[in-house]
Parts: sequence; structure tokens; C-alpha cells
Amino acid sequence: MEVTIRNAPSFANLLVNLDPGDRIVAEADAMASMSSGIEMTTRWNGGVFRAIARRIFGGESIFVNEFKSTQSGHIVITQPFPGDMACLELKGNTMFLQPGAYIASEPQVTLGLGWAGIRSFISGEGLFRMKVSGYGRVWFGAYGAIFTRQVEGEYIVDTGHLVAYEPTIGIRVGMAGGIFASFFGGEGLITRVNGQGKIYMQSRSFEGLAAWTNAHL
Amino acid sequence: MKHELLCQPASTAIRFSLEQGDELTCEVGAMIAMTKGITVETTSKSRGGSGGIMKGLKRMFSGENFFLNHFTAQQPNQSLIIGPTMLGDCTHHALSGGAMIVQGSSWVASDSGIQIDTTWQGFSSAFFSGESMFWVKCSGAGNLFLSSYGAIYSVEVDGEYTVDSGHIVAFEDTLQFRIGKAGKSLIGSFFGGEGLVCKFSGRGTLYCQTHNPPSLGKLLGPKLKPR
Repeated sequence: MEVTIRNAPSFANLLVNLDPGDRIVAEADAMASMSSGIEMTTRWNGGVFRAIARRIFGGESIFVNEFKSTQSGHIVITQPFPGDMACLELKGNTMFLQPGAYIASEPQVTLGLGWAGIRSFISGEGLFRMKVSGYGRVWFGAYGAIFTRQVEGEYIVDTGHLVAYEPTIGIRVGMAGGIFASFFGGEGLITRVNGQGKIYMQSRSFEGLAAWTNAHL
Repeated sequence: MKHELLCQPASTAIRFSLEQGDELTCEVGAMIAMTKGITVETTSKSRGGSGGIMKGLKRMFSGENFFLNHFTAQQPNQSLIIGPTMLGDCTHHALSGGAMIVQGSSWVASDSGIQIDTTWQGFSSAFFSGESMFWVKCSGAGNLFLSSYGAIYSVEVDGEYTVDSGHIVAFEDTLQFRIGKAGKSLIGSFFGGEGLVCKFSGRGTLYCQTHNPPSLGKLLGPKLKPR
């Protein structure tokens, strides 16, 4: 299976070339087009209850689709946001993905649910986060471009800009400064990232687009 | 007439170099800039083509404008830059006798060798696929320019090919499509979010867009305040 990220960073999408017998799991409604020899089956996104909980609290889909090729062919997988995509190579480790970031993964990758906490929910980041673990590649997307940072100690990210992070990283939501600075300075709530590990951020925030659109309605 | 695609794929514009007498028909509002030796004429019919008001009305059903703008270079070495309204890509297709069926609103421009008409793709396909009921039919021999939301990719279909609704930009009329389910089971197709898809068959060129505006709208809509 050969996967290429095309048209990055503005309209990134995955071109997946499949050999007979290859399988790829993708987020619901992520398929844009595919060759005729590919079969699609739908399954729960990591168990019935977790899938439902994730739909209600995490903003993720209840179902994921598995595509299996019976002959050579290709499938194009996309995301709703105009933006970039990145690939994670899991070698037995775990990564957390923010709600909506997950796009596709190899079948050996386990899709799980992690509790993100009430504070995360209050700050609009969702009550749950997606936990990907196992062996294989995972692709996730963002609104805007993706950039990374190796965090050592404490680092501050505006809410809505964090996309993925390693489990060695702790997340705490707080105010950017005092009450005055936080709300009049436009930064509002921020995410305090703590620990040692890699984080992925997006250069635009979807909440920001919604806020801007609301101001112009 | 020469053309060049600029700034692909996020904010694509097309720059034309026109010689005296060259003609180009564009979507209303597509012109960004042009040199002074070009005249613009706005009509409801395609150049040299028949039909008037009826053609214009039909075009409105397909999601295009009632009017068309005809640009004609009156002097040598003229330059014209056009672009679509939405963020996204443009592509060029050279037609040589056949016809191209274009998703309403994806047609941007074509030269005088191409006739533009509206075609009916059937009620069921529109109703179930979320695509438009009327499409723009471009036939003849000449250059055709299409736009999309997202990047455009082409697929040479030989046999069968599946496209999710909302991702079709245009296809050659040697291809037919029918509405089918994405997976084996109907329930799975529905809950899997893919719902019904367009299954193409035949042999020809198909253009798809990588992104679709309704998917973005579905995420943005709930975040907007009521008006």
C-alpha cells in the first residue's frame, strides 16, 4: 500500500494505491472517489458504547469505514477542512488526536477513546480525545497548515490550535494572563502543554473562522 | 490563444494571452483584470449559438448565471486574467468533437469553438446523489476551463469508478453514471457517512474535486448564531 499526501498544505488529500488484499480504515464520509474493485464495510468506531459516547461528547463519528481491495486500484481520502495532513508512524506507541483530526489508519492501528477532562470540554476541545495505538501509519488532518514542536517542560498553545500530542504530554486549560488580559486581549483561554514529547499544531483555528463568520452575519 | 494556470491549487487564476480576434466566453464575474484592447459583450446566448432567453433560464437551473460575458481581443497582444469566486483550483480540458458534462457552477470559461447548453441528468440522480438536476453540457472543439472547491484531479475511467456525491466536477459524455450504495449493505453505507455514491461506467476522462463545500458547511453551520 502506497499513500501520498497531495495538494498540501491548502487542500491536502490522500491518494492510496492498493494492491490486492490491502486494507485501509477511514473516517466516515472521508472517501472522495475510488476504483471499482474496492469493497467498503462500515464498523463501529472502537466499540458500540465508546462510539456513541464519542459522538455525543467528542464530536467524532460513530462509524468508520474499512476499504479492502480485491484487485489493484486506488482510493482518494479527504477531509472537510481546507488544510494540511500529516502521517504518524506508530511502533507500539500511543498518540492523542483532538476531535475531528483523525482521517485514516492502517488496520493494525487500534482506535480508542481517551478521557480528556471537563476542563478540556469547557474550553471547547471536547470531553474525549482519540487515542491511536499499535503498529502502523495514521493520517490526521488540520484546518490550516500543520507544524510541530518538541516540547520540553511547559509550552503554551492557544485553544483550537492543538491537533495531536504524545501521551507523555499533559494538557491543562488556563487563562492567558489575568482576567482582563485574557478576555480583552483576544487570547481568551489557552492550553498549557506540559511534559516531554512532540506536539502537532494547526496554523488556523476553526473556532476562529466561526467567530469571524458570526461577526459578519 | 495561450493560457497559463497561476497560483494552483488554493487560489487558482487563469491568464490568457489573446491575439487579435480571439474570443473567450466567461462566467459572469470571472474577470479579474484585462488589458484595454478587449471588448466585453454580455448576452444570454453562447457566441454564434442559437437560443436566447430560454437558454439563459435553463442555465440558471444548472447553477450558472443567466448571462454570459464574451471577451474579444480587438488588438494584438492582449492579456486577460479570470478566476472563480470560491477558493480552489481550475483546470483546462481540450475538447475535440465530443462533449463534456460539467457540474453546475464549475464551468468558468470556454473559447468560441465550444457550445454551452444545459442538460438534464434525471430526477433520481439529482435527488439521491445531492448533485444538481441540471448540468452544463459543453460540446464542440476547443478549450474548456473548469473550477472547483479544493484541488482538481483527473481519472481516466476504463470500466467502473466510484465517486462520492459532491466531488464530481465534470465528465466526458462517453461515461454514464448511476446512483449506488457505497458499501455492500445499505445500512452500512448510510451509517458509514458515505450514503449514496455515483458509479461511473464506460471509458473517458472524469474530473473530481478533492474537497466539497457541504462537508465544511455541515461543520461550520452549528457554530453559527441564528440570524
